[in-house]
Amino acid sequence: MSEPLLEARGIVKSFAGVRALRSVDFTAHPGEVAALVGDNGAGKSTLVKILSGTLAPDGGEIWFEGRQVTIPNPVAARELGIETVYQDLALAPELDPTANLFLGRELVRPGPLGKLGFLDKAAMRRQTNKAFADLGIGLQDTGAMVANLSGGQRQSVAVSRAATWVSKVVFMDEPTAALGVVQSAKVRDLIRRVRDSGIAVVLISHNMPEVMELADRIEVLRLGVRVARFRAAETTMEQVIAAMTGALGTGEVA
Amino acid sequence: MRRRWLLGLAALALALAACGGDDDGGGGAGSAEKQYKLTLIQGVKGDQFYVTMQCGAQEAARAAGATLDVAAPDEFDASLQTPVVNAVVAKKPDAILVAPTDTQAMIPPLTQAKQAGIKLVFVDTTTENGAELAESEIASDNEEGGREAARTLAELTGGKGSVLVINVKPGISTTDARAKGFEDEIKKTPGLKYIGQEYSNDKPEIAASKATAALAAHPDLVGIFGTNLFSAEGAATGLRSAGATKKVKIVGFDAGPKQVEDLEQGIVQALIAQKPADIGRAGVEQAIAALKGEPVQKKIGTGFVVVTKENMNSPDVEPFLYKSSC
Amino acid sequence: MSEIREVPPAGTQEEPADRPLQAGVQGALRRRLTETTTWTFLILLGIVAGFAALRFEQFATVFNFRNIAADASGLLIIAVGMTFVIITAGIDLSVGSVLVFSGVIAAKVMLALGGEGWGAIGAGLVAGLVAGLAWGVVNGVLVTKARVPPLIVTLGTLGMALGSALLITGGIDVRGVPLELTTTIGIGQLSGVPYVVIIAAVVTAIGVITLSMTRFGRYTYAIGSNAEAARRAGINVDRHLIKVYALSGLLAGLAGMVSLARFATTTIGGHSTDNLAAIAAVVLGGTSLFGGIGTVLGTVVGVFIPAILQNGFVILGVQPFWQQVAVGAVLIIAVYIDQLKRRAQERGERR
Repeated sequence: MSEPLLEARGIVKSFAGVRALRSVDFTAHPGEVAALVGDNGAGKSTLVKILSGTLAPDGGEIWFEGRQVTIPNPVAARELGIETVYQDLALAPELDPTANLFLGRELVRPGPLGKLGFLDKAAMRRQTNKAFADLGIGLQDTGAMVANLSGGQRQSVAVSRAATWVSKVVFMDEPTAALGVVQSAKVRDLIRRVRDSGIAVVLISHNMPEVMELADRIEVLRLGVRVARFRAAETTMEQVIAAMTGALGTGEVA
Repeated sequence: MRRRWLLGLAALALALAACGGDDDGGGGAGSAEKQYKLTLIQGVKGDQFYVTMQCGAQEAARAAGATLDVAAPDEFDASLQTPVVNAVVAKKPDAILVAPTDTQAMIPPLTQAKQAGIKLVFVDTTTENGAELAESEIASDNEEGGREAARTLAELTGGKGSVLVINVKPGISTTDARAKGFEDEIKKTPGLKYIGQEYSNDKPEIAASKATAALAAHPDLVGIFGTNLFSAEGAATGLRSAGATKKVKIVGFDAGPKQVEDLEQGIVQALIAQKPADIGRAGVEQAIAALKGEPVQKKIGTGFVVVTKENMNSPDVEPFLYKSSC
Repeated sequence: MSEIREVPPAGTQEEPADRPLQAGVQGALRRRLTETTTWTFLILLGIVAGFAALRFEQFATVFNFRNIAADASGLLIIAVGMTFVIITAGIDLSVGSVLVFSGVIAAKVMLALGGEGWGAIGAGLVAGLVAGLAWGVVNGVLVTKARVPPLIVTLGTLGMALGSALLITGGIDVRGVPLELTTTIGIGQLSGVPYVVIIAAVVTAIGVITLSMTRFGRYTYAIGSNAEAARRAGINVDRHLIKVYALSGLLAGLAGMVSLARFATTTIGGHSTDNLAAIAAVVLGGTSLFGGIGTVLGTVVGVFIPAILQNGFVILGVQPFWQQVAVGAVLIIAVYIDQLKRRAQERGERR
């Protein structure tokens, strides 16, 4: 197994006296889908927010490519090559898919106009259309407001935004939660393609069949602690669920 | 479908508004004389002084076979009166009767009016260059009115104590003259100390607070002269809330319904009523004279009536109380 | 800036649940035609045509339109700033008071420096602009750092700015502003166009360009649409909001300078409803009070609808009180039409 790309060691986080993460460890490897599972309140979304720079941990260490790092804000995460698809998508509904794709990373015109902040909308549109085509997204009217797209299309925009910009690690928090059967299949396709290009994919999902289908490794969180690690090929859904609910004792299965 | 319906409704509303306008002062005469179009631009909407002026003007217009319509800004302020003047000038009436809200700021738009060939008559207030800009300036002799107020207040207060003037704001020709007349005349009563003038900015609330503040600062305050309708009304309100209505006598300027009520209830002791209807009437007469090329009186000073509780219902005083509608 | 990655392409399959949207160009054209700005512009044209039909020689003259434009210039300047603020889903109620305060500061400075000459005038104008900018920054900081809702913050600064102006002047307008200011900028013209209109037009042009073509404009829309998403995308939301409110204050200050130039006095009593007039103009122009949507050109249309209504009604001789009723009714009708159109557009695009 390759070296871990991203590693969380002993992460602690409390909210108003409630310990959401008591001491969490987590690893992600390149070219691999690591599923992060656990029941409600296990701390999955909190861990994702910490590793993507949205929240600051109260304790613990983060290691990236063998060095210890801090991720104080989302920009720092981006600069490391970490992208995130949040559970709430974090899209701007009144902006179109192109604007959302380039949110915070807008292209400016070359030369003096660029210094004044003039946008290069044509270039952004071109690159967006190409990215969507490459990723197999069938969005023909890229000028429509994201708010006027269907739930599945919106999810596709959020997923493709992360897939487009990511260079090292991508977190996907419940990427198919609100999708229908066919749309979910498309997103799963996309996840596999991203993994195959060498990215470390971290998948958070409640959907156990999906986890079993997509994941290469599964890490189980329970009550703010990692309680189990499985290789997906060598385990069953029942074992994973048992670990989530505490029926199985802690076991490291390499 | 629904959209077209709505646009049609909007168009209908506009058309109704168009019919609804120009409904005042329609002249009767089927004579060969030209029917002159006049517009009255008041100082502010909803002020009974200007409403009474409108009534007098409309009467005179009807008698002369002319049409008169009325426009006014929302507040007594040059920045709001200017767009009104500009729109009226676009309408190209033959003459405009106007009460300028500022002696300086109203000069540019009114100059534009004159350059467009419209005859101007200034009613009540005027501009710094009123004598050149207008055919005629018609106002009460405000200095005399202020003097009359001083005499009345001296009588009411028994000639001893402090007196205050609540004025509107500097730059209004009429109220400044009233304050000056008062100041000059009050010197003739040595027992009365003139503590100066405060400004209400034509807002009753500010007049009220200035009155109560003065009362607190000068316990021997016995009299207040409010130089216009809102100033006097506000002062009365302030005294009422301070419970000082028996102690302090108020002489107000202008006799609007609220002030007449105050008079009846003994909160205000005397009102110096102008004759705004006369001003309006004279304004129309001078405008038409100017339009016909007949001789014009450059300055007309209208008179006053001192209104008290005792005389307010008598036949020579009652007609001069201000109206809320014509 | 990270490079866009190349992911091996997959075949595109149309799925029945994902109905294809109309092709790009068709969609863009349809959007342009049904935009609110187009509709309110048509309403404006309708009103102009209506008044012209009823009173042609009086209403439809260069003289009249020039005056309408000059009278509307101050409000337009304020409304451009208000457009930015409302697009961020905020609001600025303090604009009228900041206008008055800036005028008072400028007039006092001019008088203190002798009351005549372009040196005094220039210093006064700069002082007025700085005063407006300062109130804007106060608004921005309170909204972002103290986390007080914009409605409350700007309601507070509305009172504080006007109160300060009244304290400084004792409630009376400051007069004696240097004459040159009024005769040149205030009522002067450049080839038949009043200087105040030129100033308003330049401000509008800068506003249009900034909002639609620059990163600053894009961030304004993004924050109004979803501030949290903008934050997660790395945009410094607090700093941007402070800039937006500062801009609104600066433009209110500029409007105060324009007013001072035109009227040569501070006109303290005449601006108590400027804030609502600006908000109405922005909303009439198609900007959503919920943020994320709006244009400066729409605001221009929104400024002129009430201005032309007032002008036309005076020309028609409509009683003054009816004018307020009519302007309010047009506002409701225009926003209602916008709502109908928006719902139709959503249905159309989801179809």
